[in-house]
Amino acid sequence: MNALTFREARHLVSRTGLGAEWSSIKKLEGLAQAQAVEHVINQSPSPLRPTPRFSPWSKLEPMRDDSTQGRKDAWVIAQEEGKRLQGWWIEQMMATQSPFIERMTLFWHGFFTSSIQKTLQPSLLLEQNLMLRTQALGNFKTLLHAVSRDPAMLVYLDGYENIKGRPNENFARELLELFTIGPKEYSQADVKAAAIAFTGWGLDPHTGDFVVRPDQHDKRPVTFLGRTGSFDGADIINILLEHPKTAERLAEQFWKAFVSNSRPSSKTMQAWGAQIRRADYDIKEALRMVLNSPEFWDEHNRGAIVKSPIDILIGTARMGNYPRESTGELVNLCRLLGQQLFDPPTVKGWAGGEHWISTQTLLVRASYLAKIARGSMDRKTDGDAGFPVSSSRELIDWLVAVPPVNPPPEIPGNRRLAHALLLDPAFQVA
Amino acid sequence: MNRRGFLKLASLVPAAGLMPSTLWAASSKKTISASSTPSPTNTQETAVTAPKTVRRRNIVLIKLSGGNDGLNTLVPLKDYAKYQKFRPTLSQPAQAYKLASLDGSGMALNLYMSHLSKWWNQGNVAWIQGVGYEHPILSHFRSSDIWDTASDAFVESEIGWLAQVLPQYKSGLHGIIVGEGLGPMSGKDCHTIAMQSPQVFLNQISLVKDANPLKNASPALAHITNIQHQLHEAGLQIKEKMGNPRPIPGFANGVLGRRLESVAQMILSDVDTAVYKVEHSGFDTHANQLNKQNNLLNELAIALDSFANTMQANGRWDDVLVVTYSEFGRRVQENKGGGTDHGAASVQLVMGGKVRGGVYGERPNLNELDKDGNLHMTTDFRQVYGTLASRWFNVNNPWSQFKTIPFV
Repeated sequence: MNALTFREARHLVSRTGLGAEWSSIKKLEGLAQAQAVEHVINQSPSPLRPTPRFSPWSKLEPMRDDSTQGRKDAWVIAQEEGKRLQGWWIEQMMATQSPFIERMTLFWHGFFTSSIQKTLQPSLLLEQNLMLRTQALGNFKTLLHAVSRDPAMLVYLDGYENIKGRPNENFARELLELFTIGPKEYSQADVKAAAIAFTGWGLDPHTGDFVVRPDQHDKRPVTFLGRTGSFDGADIINILLEHPKTAERLAEQFWKAFVSNSRPSSKTMQAWGAQIRRADYDIKEALRMVLNSPEFWDEHNRGAIVKSPIDILIGTARMGNYPRESTGELVNLCRLLGQQLFDPPTVKGWAGGEHWISTQTLLVRASYLAKIARGSMDRKTDGDAGFPVSSSRELIDWLVAVPPVNPPPEIPGNRRLAHALLLDPAFQVA
Repeated sequence: MNRRGFLKLASLVPAAGLMPSTLWAASSKKTISASSTPSPTNTQETAVTAPKTVRRRNIVLIKLSGGNDGLNTLVPLKDYAKYQKFRPTLSQPAQAYKLASLDGSGMALNLYMSHLSKWWNQGNVAWIQGVGYEHPILSHFRSSDIWDTASDAFVESEIGWLAQVLPQYKSGLHGIIVGEGLGPMSGKDCHTIAMQSPQVFLNQISLVKDANPLKNASPALAHITNIQHQLHEAGLQIKEKMGNPRPIPGFANGVLGRRLESVAQMILSDVDTAVYKVEHSGFDTHANQLNKQNNLLNELAIALDSFANTMQANGRWDDVLVVTYSEFGRRVQENKGGGTDHGAASVQLVMGGKVRGGVYGERPNLNELDKDGNLHMTTDFRQVYGTLASRWFNVNNPWSQFKTIPFV
């Protein structure tokens, strides 16, 4: 197999890392493709930054029950801690040596969303993040079971209120529609049946821990996707995992995250879905398949993904000798650019792709990138030595995934060129 | 420019709009050139004789953020005893309100809004009462989303209501937000820019180079170049028309006053857009409501008076409609802190030269509150949106299942 060129290595790094970091590209350049992919998916996890201490459930919930004032105070605490939680993840992404793990954790956060605004329990969102990151490259079956018992998810989708005689369908519906088989494969009767099966999965009111309460479980036999029985939540999840659409829809999300914002062919998705099932939902195995696929390496798919706000904010800062914003400002910029961590806009997570770019967000992106580029230009003492490249050709090859849209500046010099490239539309795509 | 200061400016731009469309780019060039200022030689003349087609109808949307108390905005004179029982510290002697009575409606205007009486007497002010939706939600965020997207209480949508109206009305730039909060203009077909003021926007936009919309690039890059081109064009338009905006003498002060002054300047400069949105915040009056709300309403009335005077003096009063809205009204029973908690139905103000003055909608019934002690709505908020779509912009009404209201 041919050795990866610089451009190919750059492609792999920019799609799987946080920023097309020069050193990472250089590490993969010259390796065989499959070997380079192994490097990426087998990154050993960087140590986690110390996790912030947050008010536990056992403090916030009694406050809320106590009085109007208590409810307000709990709200203020949740907002303040929520910001610290966002800052914690941003710092982790900024410092990590295993960016692929952060990227996959973010991927699952968008797939299985929960929000600090609905739950108002930052400590639960932190726990969920730690769970997602442990399972990020594990097994999708394990992950789906874990998510269904995750306290933040049980609050976010009202699962904790789903009890015998008073079923709440919210989680059951999203489990079918978003997490597994998709909207065309089930009826409202299936949603009702699943909700009944999940009754009794709830939270300990004192600790906020996941509990199964047999007295609140409705044992009535139900018919779910053509099967009848007295099911519990785990049975429902297992039935869903047997359905071929579950793997195909997961494949679609991998496509969107790693290959292209354009729709994949259903043939490709069926093939990928079949492979995912053959690998028994092993996530690393699935990603190995995706990153070695001809579609991933197809030249037509270069620049086919709009960089996410995280990619722009953190990826760019990681790429070079650039000055970085304060954590607070980065949290704020995430909001302005439409990607507030732990607070996705809807239960579907972030729409992503072209939706990232509007007249407003493009203006904020340009302001941020101009500031970053100018910061580097102002470091006069460095001369051109701040860049690892030896020619302007190499600088272009490194900074953008596709040829720049605008002509290069007339006055030569790497700093000026880097500034122009960061503000070129081509810099917005990966 | 100081670099730290620079990003601060940029941070004032509100959060992301959702999905701009690629269709916009195709048609916008035409629109912008068609509406740009005529050649310098005849500028003077066209200011008077500009063909009617260039004049756009505008809506100036003012969000009263936090939840404005409708009951203390329009006071129910007819149910006064009942009202006073619910509001022992928040009510004034009935006698005081008699003077502010909105004739025939049984309602009286908050005494601090007297700057509006001239416009009421001219028949330029409409109040719509009892506006809300079924199954009111008492969360600021969620209820704002509902108002912004014209959805039912339990339906989540990301498409703002104006995004369902404005693309039918015009191409090119649809809206300008002065301040923060894209709200009703979120959505893939709605094209908006946000600015702290035209001057600040002009500083920011200088960073954005024009980009030729690419046709045969990836859809991702094609989209980005389209949006960048549009942003650049919007910048050019504002620069050309607003290069040197003059302050309007005597215009109201304060945050709201300055924002409405910017809006007035842009309207008078013939900036080609349909909707301007500003926010007036502080209405979340859980405690000591009386002074807080009176001050806010007073500021609103003074700013609106300035704005209306400016429009009328420049012959533009018939082209604009000022519309207020708020995420909800407030609890009927005042709380122990002299404030009110989150409620449901409230009132909306519509003002403009073409408005049919009056009080519309049924007076909310103080004898029959919902389980939370809130007013039942009598007018679905989409009746107002539908009226604006079909009777002001003359486009299809996306909410035709709700009756329109003849306030315009």
